[in-house]
Amino acid sequence: MTTFSVLVLLLFIAMLSVGGKQGAIAFVSLGINFALLFLSIVLVQFHLPPLPVTFVTGIIILAVTIFFGNEDDGSTTTAFYAAVIAMILLLLIIVPVEHWAQVGGFGDEDSEDLEGMSTLIGISFLKVEICTVVLSTLGAIAEAAMAISSGLSEIQEQQPTITGRRLYDDGINVGKQIIGTTLNTLFFGFFGGFLALFIWFVGLHYSLSQVFNDKVFGAELIMVLLSFIGVLLTVPITAAVAGWRWQKRAS
Amino acid sequence: MQHKWLNNWITVILVLCGGLLVLGVAHNARLYQQPIVKVTRVLTHKTVRQQDEFQNQDKTTTQHLNAVLLNTAARGEHVSLTNTYSISGATDQPYHVGSQLFISRPIKGQQPTIKGAKRDVVIAFLLWLTISMLLVFMRKAGSLALLSVALNAVLFFVAINIDLSLKNGNVFVIFSAIAVVFAALTLWLVLGWTRQMGITLIATLSGTILAIVISLIVFSVTHERGMHYEGLQYVTVLPRPLFLAETLIGSLGAVMDESTDIVATLFELKRERPDVSAGQLFQSGRNVGRSIMGPLVNVLFLIFVADTFPMTLLYLKNGNNWGYTYMMNMSLGIIQSLISGLGIVLAIPVASYVASRLMKGREQA
Repeated sequence: MTTFSVLVLLLFIAMLSVGGKQGAIAFVSLGINFALLFLSIVLVQFHLPPLPVTFVTGIIILAVTIFFGNEDDGSTTTAFYAAVIAMILLLLIIVPVEHWAQVGGFGDEDSEDLEGMSTLIGISFLKVEICTVVLSTLGAIAEAAMAISSGLSEIQEQQPTITGRRLYDDGINVGKQIIGTTLNTLFFGFFGGFLALFIWFVGLHYSLSQVFNDKVFGAELIMVLLSFIGVLLTVPITAAVAGWRWQKRAS
Repeated sequence: MQHKWLNNWITVILVLCGGLLVLGVAHNARLYQQPIVKVTRVLTHKTVRQQDEFQNQDKTTTQHLNAVLLNTAARGEHVSLTNTYSISGATDQPYHVGSQLFISRPIKGQQPTIKGAKRDVVIAFLLWLTISMLLVFMRKAGSLALLSVALNAVLFFVAINIDLSLKNGNVFVIFSAIAVVFAALTLWLVLGWTRQMGITLIATLSGTILAIVISLIVFSVTHERGMHYEGLQYVTVLPRPLFLAETLIGSLGAVMDESTDIVATLFELKRERPDVSAGQLFQSGRNVGRSIMGPLVNVLFLIFVADTFPMTLLYLKNGNNWGYTYMMNMSLGIIQSLISGLGIVLAIPVASYVASRLMKGREQA
């Protein structure tokens, strides 16, 4: 057996025994998300426009991550609406920032990997970079939206007379509680992957100005910052959507 | 009230000062040794169709640029440059009027070559935007989150320096030690120096260690069949310990996030119902963990795997089949996701157990 198959088996057993049915469903959602990710790469390979492809698969990934394995209808619907709005707003920030930064594709540090490859493939790597940033941020957006909306549905249960406006404020407060740990999840998640690159920079004595103008470093740092912004946008949006839906139901 | 008003003003002033700093970075060319120019005129010369051996169609366009030097002794002098870019833009890009770029030192009678774009302004701008949003939306919580991320970034840099200064240092061993410091520092900032922080730290570390030990056992039992370390990028040290260190650091934040949630809920429960039994606490911990583990595993999975998108696409477009492309680009990210998934799942019973036992201990004492 390969290392991969043993690890898959172990993760499935662990998720099933710790999470029961919910765990098994979460495991399935992981598989579906992988299939969606691979599908979007294949579709882009067949020259479908990268941005619409990402937009559609992004919405499906959000739905899979949020609706799979969560039973509470009200809070998951709120989280899904909020996550989709946050993704759209984030796209509106990502597109101009990436066009300004021009960090799509590959840098000097990639030259060994590019040896013998044709890079003239006729698909804009700038657009591919935009897709990469959106896709890698979706998990964090979904998680933050879920955390806030499930916290708020708890409050709705305990105080059925609460106003939509108060609910919004409470949502921001829940956001303040989770923001620290969420940003750390993202920070470590991304920096684990940058370890090799940073060892390269320090080992080859890059100067500070070289690092801050390096294409690969720029791409990676911009990705982290945009994902932070994505989560930051998710907080008020989720609070607002929850408040709005609560108000609508009350009237 | 007075206090809050003052805080608002401090935030506004910080945001404005940051904005000025970004403007400063846009005009910092004179701090650089390498010659920097600003493009003043762009003439698009000609566009040529290209086709490679895999029937990929592309177009390359040549631009003639007029630019003015912003620094060095020749500051203010004009130079002309030539740039070629393609539709794919894998290693090239178009330039526009106002673009700032690095060039080689101008030599008489020779056209200088373009070394690359100046990217520090956009990075400074995005840093400013992120920090401002954190401070404006999240106030005190935002500044604490910022402090913790900044301290971790510094620590990260120090750790890499330590690692490289030890000649025969094993990256994995060093980053395992650093991970303990990372976790302790981060949790201390979130929770303060409390018993709750201690329990969360123990839970985080045990969950992570458990996942790594299990993976190492799996590695040795399966003889790492199907592991393609040649797919790792930017490798300058031994790839295997590097891969393990990357996985460890990558999952640390998520495991901390989850342990914090579980332990905090159990402490809350204990406060509301002091007579709750250790068994009931353990069960509640599992319930909390069960609902957050799915989204958390997906967060890391998307981070680890989406990053391989550009290289995977390039492989596919260079006539490689799906299997080989997956193996060379995505397989390691998937293994990383699986190991960190194990850490996230196993931290649930560990955190619930540790919290239920240690909280009980305090009551008896």
